[in-house]
Amino acid sequence: MRIKLTSIMVDDQDKGLRFYTEILGFKKKHDIPVGEYRWITVTSPEGPDEVELALEPNANPAGKAFQEAMFSQGIPIAAFEVSDIAGEFARLTARGVAFTRQPAPAGPVTIAVFADTCGNLIQLYQPNTR
Amino acid sequence: MLLRHDGFGRLCRARDLLRELRDPSPSIADLAREVQMSPFHFIRQFEAVFGVTPHQFRIQTRLDIAKHLLAMGHQSVTDVCMEVGFSSLGSFSALFTKRVGEAPSAYRRRVRAMAQGPGAVAADLTPGCLPLMGRLPPSAFGRPVRSFREA
Repeated sequence: MRIKLTSIMVDDQDKGLRFYTEILGFKKKHDIPVGEYRWITVTSPEGPDEVELALEPNANPAGKAFQEAMFSQGIPIAAFEVSDIAGEFARLTARGVAFTRQPAPAGPVTIAVFADTCGNLIQLYQPNTR
Repeated sequence: MLLRHDGFGRLCRARDLLRELRDPSPSIADLAREVQMSPFHFIRQFEAVFGVTPHQFRIQTRLDIAKHLLAMGHQSVTDVCMEVGFSSLGSFSALFTKRVGEAPSAYRRRVRAMAQGPGAVAADLTPGCLPLMGRLPPSAFGRPVRSFREA
């Protein structure tokens, strides 16, 4: 058993693919039409290529309700590790990304939170020891 | 940009307001006032957070509801058009066709044919992502196939 694939719900798959590749800088791995939607996955150029993040359509009302409730409560739905959180904060704000929390220490990590334009809050974290 | 806590809360509240179907429909400036923001900051910050302008968000929400109602199949296209707050069938149909890629009546016919029973919405329209996996080609999982020459 291995962790190789995880997913995140997006309110628009086109918009999601644009944000996760052009703004965040992930690489598109798959974009395959399946019925009404697409199977879209991205990988990190800094991480192992076989670990994929799927951009999942949130057409299901139950998924949408969960996503919106988490968002309104300010709770991130995923976290990505970075090695230079101040640099990422500067890079992403310059690209128009809206942060709800600027980099701030929290125990063993420094944390920042931004909106992914697809209905999610995403946390960035940098372990202090690196 | 960095949003303060109350600013973030206002944008979430605005998102809820944009979903409401009020008659007459409030202008974007009205909604900005309702969440105590200037129209300029409202539009700019909303777009940064949600990836679309408030106006685009409202249109998209209405088309999403229209798609759902059409898929349920109980109402005529005209009734659906009125229910989601469009006053003109012509402009509703034109916008729907532009965004969805087919006319409301064609969409209704197609997705009704996919449904399993009366009043049901086809499972294809509200999938979880992971069930879609079973319909992918093997190449979505295998490592890249290399020819002997490359090897």
